[in-house]
Amino acid sequence: MIISVINTVLIVAAISGLLALLLVIADLLFANYGEMKITINGKKELVVKGGSSLLGLLNDNKIYLASACGGRGSCGFCKCKVNSGGGPLLPTEKPFLTPQEIEDNIRLSCQIKVKEDIFIEIPENIFNVQKYKAVVTEIKDLTYDIKELTLKLQEPASINFKAGQYVQLESPPYEKSRQSASRAYSISSSPDNQHFIQLIIRLVPAGICTTYIFDYLKSGDEINFTGPFGDFSIRDSQADMLFIAGGSGKAPIKSMVEYLYQHGSKRRMIYMFGARTRKDLYYTELFQDLEKKMVNFTYVPILSQPTEECEWKGKCGYVTPFFPEYIRDPQNTEAYLCGSPGMIAAVIKGLKSNGINEANIFYDSFA
Amino acid sequence: MKETPSELRIHNNMKAGYLTVEGFLGKDDRHFHDIIREDHAVLQKISISAVQLAERMEYFTGKAFEIYDGAIIIDEKFRVEYKSYRGKIICPFAHPGVFRKGEIFFKNLENGIELCWTPLNIHMIAEHGFFEGKGSKHRLDPVILKQALFGNGDL
Repeated sequence: MIISVINTVLIVAAISGLLALLLVIADLLFANYGEMKITINGKKELVVKGGSSLLGLLNDNKIYLASACGGRGSCGFCKCKVNSGGGPLLPTEKPFLTPQEIEDNIRLSCQIKVKEDIFIEIPENIFNVQKYKAVVTEIKDLTYDIKELTLKLQEPASINFKAGQYVQLESPPYEKSRQSASRAYSISSSPDNQHFIQLIIRLVPAGICTTYIFDYLKSGDEINFTGPFGDFSIRDSQADMLFIAGGSGKAPIKSMVEYLYQHGSKRRMIYMFGARTRKDLYYTELFQDLEKKMVNFTYVPILSQPTEECEWKGKCGYVTPFFPEYIRDPQNTEAYLCGSPGMIAAVIKGLKSNGINEANIFYDSFA
Repeated sequence: MKETPSELRIHNNMKAGYLTVEGFLGKDDRHFHDIIREDHAVLQKISISAVQLAERMEYFTGKAFEIYDGAIIIDEKFRVEYKSYRGKIICPFAHPGVFRKGEIFFKNLENGIELCWTPLNIHMIAEHGFFEGKGSKHRLDPVILKQALFGNGDL
């Protein structure tokens, strides 16, 4: 009886699988959607062969929306606004969209098959995103679990980005991973250096991309990335700036501070960096040196769990209790945060209770 | 056992080198259906559901998440620490949605049981009854998990 049931299940499963395969083959061989138009932001038109995913067709035309899963519908990054022509919202998209996004016609571009003319909206800065080939020129240990990667751009040979933006680095298939993987890392170097970029990367235990970077990638190797992405960047004002970061969150802040220094900014800047112990601190000399060069810049490392071995004479605890000491004029202060989601949530709460307007709090969460 | 395309995809996602370097099956050579079925039988024997365990894990995880740096003592008998990593991970069951990368280090101070789980573990236990294969880094044995989360004498 049991064998008979198992046999029936197996036969049904095999027939279903075969039918699904036949449908895919038939779709590939016989479905001809002809030429379609993708109209972007009401002004740019792409003529494409229909039937493929919107994300793939945009990529074919060198328009790169962020994507960490290669179009498998599992990362939720490749969002864009579809004004018409995208077909109905699919169940595979819903978990990634908020009710407001659904109401605003935001869709996952990897899940939309272009079968008719489609009208979409994407941020203008996406047109600046390109695929880059680079060579690793240096890999430096910053702490026991954080490395600094320096990449010299090969093709294209230069990049335009804003301090605070990130790229998606691609690890190729290697001994411990059967497929390539893309992961987002903030650029830590200044945008003024367009031929090199630096990334600060913290090891993710069992992470495909960071294991590759930590254990396999060598100086001289080629590596690909896409970017720049993100809207975490310096706002154009003269307000005081409060930078707060933890762990590898130092990357975008370093890029911002170096950029402001190189452009002779006179804005008042406080940089509070939270770490657990002294061995989690890095770039201390670099920022102390910037303090000497910029009279309006103050660097404040704070240890939450200093041990006796740390011989730490600086500030101890979390960053939030020190806000009153450094916030001069809450109504005229912008805060720039980068760190874990837990840290971001706690810091935002602390900033608001110290009178900083939420509209002036900008952050890049490790999300 | 012949797998449907969907099962094959899930099985591949669970292997080492697909979603994570180590995968979700460890050294366990059982099919993931068998791992789930056998753990379900254990849950019935110890009179607790996967959802109850996941809800308790979520409770501790939420408390530790608020203390973003360092450990927190909860109810004077649980020490919990949340370590965040950059990025998100998808569910190997191809369940739509992404989960924060991180590890929760848990110790029951009364019976000494120490465990480590991820936000994805909580989802896989609640939604799929999957506690990972034996030998997997984040395998959570249901009996030990219950003792750790609810206390049930010393190990």
